[in-house]
Amino acid sequence: MQDITRRNVVIGAGAAASALTFTGVARSAPVFPAKNIQFVIPYAPGGGFDVYVRIVAPVMEKYLPNKVTIVPVNVPSGGGSRGVAQLYRAKPDGYTIGILNIPGMFILQQQQGSGAYDLAKFSWIGAMGEGERYVINVGAKSPLKTFADLKALSAKRPIKLSVTGPEGTAYAASVIGTQLLGLRTQLITGYKGSADYVVAAVRGDSDAVIAAIPTSMRFVRGGTVRVLASFEAKSSFPGVPDATTLGQPDLDNISVERVVAGPPGIPPEVQNTLSVALAKALADPVVVKWAKENDVVMRSKTPQETTQLVAQQRAFFDKWKKYLTPS
Amino acid sequence: MLEMWLGGLQGLLHLDVLGFVFLGMVIGLVFGAIPGLGGTTAIALLMPLTYGLEPFTALALAGGVMGAVPMGGSITSILLNTPGTAPNAATCLDGHPLAQQGKAGLAIGAAGSANAIGAIIGTVSVLAVLPIASDLVLMFGPPEFFLMGLFALAIVATATRGKMLRGLVVGALGLMIAFVGFNDVAGGERFTYGIEYLWDGIHLVPALIGLFAVAEMIHLMVKGGSVAQSGSPVKITKMTAGLLEVFKHMPTVIRGSLIGTIVGAIPGLGGTVVAFLSYSVTAQASKNPESFGKGNIQGVIAPEAAICAHDCSALIPTLTFGIPAGAEMAVFMGLLIIHGMQPGPLMLRDHQVEIYGLIWALTASCVLASFVGLLFVKPLAKITQLDSGILVPLVLSTAFAGSFAIDMAIENVIVTAVFGCLGYLMMRYDYPRLMIVVALVLGANTERNFHQSMLMGEGGWSIFLNRPISVGLMIAIAAVLCLPIFRGVFNQLRVRKLAAERSGP
Repeated sequence: MQDITRRNVVIGAGAAASALTFTGVARSAPVFPAKNIQFVIPYAPGGGFDVYVRIVAPVMEKYLPNKVTIVPVNVPSGGGSRGVAQLYRAKPDGYTIGILNIPGMFILQQQQGSGAYDLAKFSWIGAMGEGERYVINVGAKSPLKTFADLKALSAKRPIKLSVTGPEGTAYAASVIGTQLLGLRTQLITGYKGSADYVVAAVRGDSDAVIAAIPTSMRFVRGGTVRVLASFEAKSSFPGVPDATTLGQPDLDNISVERVVAGPPGIPPEVQNTLSVALAKALADPVVVKWAKENDVVMRSKTPQETTQLVAQQRAFFDKWKKYLTPS
Repeated sequence: MLEMWLGGLQGLLHLDVLGFVFLGMVIGLVFGAIPGLGGTTAIALLMPLTYGLEPFTALALAGGVMGAVPMGGSITSILLNTPGTAPNAATCLDGHPLAQQGKAGLAIGAAGSANAIGAIIGTVSVLAVLPIASDLVLMFGPPEFFLMGLFALAIVATATRGKMLRGLVVGALGLMIAFVGFNDVAGGERFTYGIEYLWDGIHLVPALIGLFAVAEMIHLMVKGGSVAQSGSPVKITKMTAGLLEVFKHMPTVIRGSLIGTIVGAIPGLGGTVVAFLSYSVTAQASKNPESFGKGNIQGVIAPEAAICAHDCSALIPTLTFGIPAGAEMAVFMGLLIIHGMQPGPLMLRDHQVEIYGLIWALTASCVLASFVGLLFVKPLAKITQLDSGILVPLVLSTAFAGSFAIDMAIENVIVTAVFGCLGYLMMRYDYPRLMIVVALVLGANTERNFHQSMLMGEGGWSIFLNRPISVGLMIAIAAVLCLPIFRGVFNQLRVRKLAAERSGP
């Protein structure tokens, strides 16, 4: 209830601010934002991307120059492509922004062949934290104790890995990672979400599973899985080999980035205002505390850094594209 | 252990927390009663409003919503043949005929107390099972899920007795519709004809709204008059009789609750399957199965008890592994994460008080909603006497608006319209709608689990034979399919014996 009243006040204040601007009284005050901002989430409520936005949006409001509300809007249809297309076509005034999954959106577009948007043209605003890196896990009861055991098994027969369908980022991570490490695999595809395919490995459907670190941590802490290798440049698990010790630095390029973007052609000063507010929100104690509880690192990027990150991910993904098309 | 249960209960017994359970219950009743909205939408809408609340209070609110949704949904199912939420579709089958006979009060009363008892049985089972819950979830892999899907289809197919062939035709149609969309295992899309919306397949809720609500309204429009066929006023006095009716059918209640509890603990099947499974098993076990679908009160009690029990035990896979048992649980998981509780193996250790508090809230709301719901029945039952000229446009606009509101997609409305026509034709030509619903719900998952089993077993069938639960399920499927044959033979023998006795000395 308390929240509703606060929201009303906020909307009222926003209206007042825009009224002031209109009459020209507050000429020196920043014009943007003068009304509520829509934050498009191209996935259903309850998923990882949705939760990030719902945690960050109310904090980000505080750091915008004028008091407005950031309203999360879920547009889940078409595997996410509808939300992305909607964001792409929105008016580039900064009042519609959204969160994109990179490289998830590259994969989606490749699979779907959708021409409704051009991923290279978005106005990149920032990123919700560092990209999530991957690790190789086995169930706690698995006979495989080390990465060497896994390698030895692969010499005998293809390793069974539980993964999402070919549209998922975990699928791409599993294919690219095992290619780099020279492991023979038999993918058991089609699991619905990150918890689902980790549990599949615990249950013994598969020999191992390649999953993002925050997901894996939940199971590691609960003692249900064991980490055999990390794709990070420097392993955050003591005694576990990483991209450097495995001699495959490219493993560190495999990640999931939660990138914030707006439609092509947002004016640079608006883009900057949003980017600064996002960066401040990610440094806010509320968000930092939540991030710590969930094993994610929250640090934003400038629009330039984000553009660079997306381009780099694009190049890396294109290099591996041919392995990701299912036969 | 017991300490934790009581700790959860104690946390709930604060005036403000109870207030939020009650608020959640009212919201749940309303959202449950409006077709297309349901618990998923309610929790998604409430999520941002819970930021300012303590985690415990937020969970109490969510528990209140989830507990009351089935009751709200059953009211619309019975009065208007429009499932308020997807699982209530099973309640329509006998609940609506009862309303047509002017026994809406009896049906709603029975649904209410079945809900309450189902919730209590579900809660007790969950409290008992929670400590070993993680082992239970780990026993079911793709081969078992595949066979569970087949088992459910087999049971429902035999329930369409006398119309077996029609049931199979409709089931096959349902399976084919279920395969529309992205192929989870191999990638690529099927039957989408370049339409982006179809990527996610035919959405279940808009299809259900069409099959039941719209079809019923077309039927009413063609027929004219009002829902209640008898001209006499609806006898709401029977509500207390309905409440008590449940106690005459205790085996049905207990069977339904147990089905709900067990199947709820297995992720991936969901409330809709549970409700239909419970309905079909009850019809099978009944002495006069012919009366089902024509207004047998057991046909209301069985699914309603199962739905509430399922809602309690669906918490098991959600909390222990973070695998949501359905859309509602997926949104609920988001709520947990926002409040700093990550569902997974650690949750049971770190947040026991919150979990038990949630279970208590859910149960309290289920029981309370049954009684509060009954208060609204009298005014609501008048709906069945409205003339079709008033009722049809009202229900149709609610149905289409609800269908659109699910995820703001205009294609949902088209799906609802198409399935409305299909549903009407099926009613008109006497094809059972039961099968198409179950096939729609189960089709995609069953197929996916079959492919995954094949991948696990490297293309061999032996995987189904090497696992004890899977063998047990296969025997169960065989038994279900043979049951009608045995029954037929048995009946024939009895007829012959009678005939022999008569022609005897």
